[in-house]
Amino acid sequence: MSMREAILTRVRAATAGKQVPPAPEVIPRAAGTLTEDPLVRFRRLAEMSGSTLDEAASPATAPGRVAAYLKDAGLTCAAVVWPALAALPWTAAGIAAEARAPQTTDAIGITGAFCGIAETGTLLLLSGGDSPGATSLVPETHIALLPRERIMRDLEAAFARVRAEHGSLPRALAFISGPSRTADIEQTIVIGAHGPKRVHIILVG
Amino acid sequence: MRVGLFITCLADLLRPSLARAARTLLALTGAEVVVPRRQTCCGQPALNAGDPATTRALALKLAREFADCDAVVLPSGSCAGTLRIHYPGLFAERPEAERRDIEALAARTHELAEFLDTRLPEVPGRHAGRVTYHDSCSGLRELGVKQAPRALLARVPGLELVEMMNAEDCCGFGGTFALKYGAISAAICDRKCAAIRASGAGTVTGGDLGCLMHLAGRLQRTGDTTTRVLHWAEIVAGTSGAQAWK
Amino acid sequence: MEVTSDKFRAAAARSLADTQLQRALARIPERFVAARARAAAEFGEFEQLRAAGAAIRERALARLDVLLERFEAEAVCRGASVHWAVDAAEANRIVLDIARGHGVRRIVKSKSMVTEECALNDALEAAGLAVLETDLGEYILQLARERPSHIIAPVIHKNREEVTELFSARHRRPRSTDIAALCQEAREILRPQFFAADMGISGANFLVAETGSVALFTNEGNGRLVTTLPRVHVAIAGIEKVVETLGELAALARLLPRSATGQAISNYFTLLTGVRGATESDGPEAFHIVLLDNGRSRLLGSELRPILRCIRCGACLNHCPVYQTVGGHAYGWVYPGPMGAVWTPALVGLERARELPEAATFCGQCQVACPVMIPLPDLLRRLRTRTTAEHLRPARERLALNLWGYAARHPRLYALLAAFAARVLYRLGRRRGWVRWLPLAAGWTATRDFPAGEGRTAREVLRRERGG
Repeated sequence: MSMREAILTRVRAATAGKQVPPAPEVIPRAAGTLTEDPLVRFRRLAEMSGSTLDEAASPATAPGRVAAYLKDAGLTCAAVVWPALAALPWTAAGIAAEARAPQTTDAIGITGAFCGIAETGTLLLLSGGDSPGATSLVPETHIALLPRERIMRDLEAAFARVRAEHGSLPRALAFISGPSRTADIEQTIVIGAHGPKRVHIILVG
Repeated sequence: MRVGLFITCLADLLRPSLARAARTLLALTGAEVVVPRRQTCCGQPALNAGDPATTRALALKLAREFADCDAVVLPSGSCAGTLRIHYPGLFAERPEAERRDIEALAARTHELAEFLDTRLPEVPGRHAGRVTYHDSCSGLRELGVKQAPRALLARVPGLELVEMMNAEDCCGFGGTFALKYGAISAAICDRKCAAIRASGAGTVTGGDLGCLMHLAGRLQRTGDTTTRVLHWAEIVAGTSGAQAWK
Repeated sequence: MEVTSDKFRAAAARSLADTQLQRALARIPERFVAARARAAAEFGEFEQLRAAGAAIRERALARLDVLLERFEAEAVCRGASVHWAVDAAEANRIVLDIARGHGVRRIVKSKSMVTEECALNDALEAAGLAVLETDLGEYILQLARERPSHIIAPVIHKNREEVTELFSARHRRPRSTDIAALCQEAREILRPQFFAADMGISGANFLVAETGSVALFTNEGNGRLVTTLPRVHVAIAGIEKVVETLGELAALARLLPRSATGQAISNYFTLLTGVRGATESDGPEAFHIVLLDNGRSRLLGSELRPILRCIRCGACLNHCPVYQTVGGHAYGWVYPGPMGAVWTPALVGLERARELPEAATFCGQCQVACPVMIPLPDLLRRLRTRTTAEHLRPARERLALNLWGYAARHPRLYALLAAFAARVLYRLGRRRGWVRWLPLAAGWTATRDFPAGEGRTAREVLRRERGG
């Protein structure tokens, strides 16, 4: 008998005749999730998780806001961007944007976002050919362009939208809530562990 | 109403003044109070030492001895929890008759403060000074005893109730744990003792004698001979001759 | 991994004497207990959420066979390979075979307790592979050749000075005791390793049956790097970790971080399904999922079944007065605290860990904090009963209990003995009301005085009053 069968046989024996308890009738959400304006809540909780926020009236004006952020923060204007965003007017805004997979030397990574989740102020990024996961992960600064109309109330709504637009799940769903952090040494929180040290969200539209 | 007082084995051996206080308070409710003579222990130590059979035997014994009581009242959260929460589970697979008796016993079991909360017409006790209340784990988390003893204490003239930090944290007693792992038990207790002292209360009280003798014994051993330790019922009853542990 | 749970008592004594450890443990109430309480209060209906979490986990266990088969089918459909391991040795062999099959030489790992359970690193290193822990805490432990003392804060027992020593001995960089600088140093040292690795190993917080996905909750970002950059990803999960739907996962995603660290959500919550697509520039080309039994299927049919709901948040450790006092290493294996006091005897055998269920005060804080409402004190009580039934209890303890039990069942004898004891105690403590040493209760009187009582039992006193 294979190990698979050995395990499943034991599991079957243990579950045989066991009553399956009913599914919970309701899954509660964090207080305010279903009542607060999603955009207001998203902004509030994204800031609480350490992200910074800005707005751009349209995709075309987003590179200008990115440039302004980089300048204010004293950061380089050389960035790696998602191929999905390659067509935006980066050069006109003074950003040396390269649409490719990031390397360890890249300081700025610019991505889009599939949606935002108001319940926790979280970004959801989907992996894909023109949206590499590493862009939001390897550079020290992650800038995400999030279409304003794509802010969902909660995780459930985000999952539903992924399925509605993609059918099956993309390889990687990355839910990102602020810059990376660790509290391993003396339970003292330090921002910027292995992932980005800055997460800047530009609400577009 | 006929109320049976279960003294508990610790109070029987070490704290007769608690038994007197409990009887006094129960009598004030107008109930007929009986103290069945053959009572010994509820069997909690056996249950926690991996011997449920002995606890079952003691449960049946207790059910017989208190069969003619409308209520069984215990001045201990953990003993009341044993009767009300743990007994029925121990009889889940026993004959119907036994199970019925035990469930009926559980249903009419009360921790003393819960029982007195709405029934006690007057408070005989007097107390000058600050008192802090330690929530013993079983009473709090098994039975939800939280407000009742505080409300009773608040009715004592002259008594100022102050809350210590983390009043709901375990004191480290844990029954046989206190004997088998004395050093760990004492280290946990030291945190509780520090919280008691920081509260500024001269007296600490609670609803479980095990916790109280553990606290008092540790305070004594570490040289604190001023902090007084009393069961809340002794304070509320104003039991004459109730010498605080200090 | 060596099991030293039978030496709990001695290890606990060392912990009590370790002032550095005691300072570290003193951070738990504020950093973990208070943080969780704040998160639960901010959430609002947290008790309903716990009830939902418990129901979701119970449902999964009741149909575990069906969900595992569904998970496997969906995962395979997306190009992942699913392996089944009956025990730790098999899991290690499977991972080693995968590494060999893909020509792997360098491995990076994100934190995974189940790989600690298997002692996977030892097995891989013995086969000549380079394995690097990349979670900051686990990396520190790898340098120190120690094991985690907490399931989510593995290095809670160490202070910054010790980390400084380890780093300066290994990294040959300027010394710093600044915590942020130490974190930056580890980031810089580990960064190239993620890019150089052929294979990443992770655990799995949950498996989702309906999509064949692995869910990971992390804060540092190393978990994403380990599962994004290397060409091979191996995820190892206990078979109990499966849930049916994404909706159920969403509920557990609300519970886990709040219970663990008091965060509303971890910085990163990733859901991984299948292998790199043809057009993708990152993500693993091969995705292997190892489902580990190692005693879990046996637990499923046992009275300890509720422990399989466990989502490894660490809340029971943080809320446990004993854990707060002795730390995790004293428990002698991978899983400490209340959950460890159930998992350890359940997985390694009660005879090798019988002390752990005994070393609990039954305060119930663990059960109240548990996000999936596992009745931990009740499970510990059942283990104590098994200890008695399997004759693992020391003879002296058994004798004392039997004598006491006999007396308690015989009221006249009991009354006589109690009256005698009351008088003896009173005499012993006559001058001060306290007894400093009792031969039959030396475990008590070593650290506390024992009350001398009033010289009469309560029943004698009440009867006399009634009579008079």
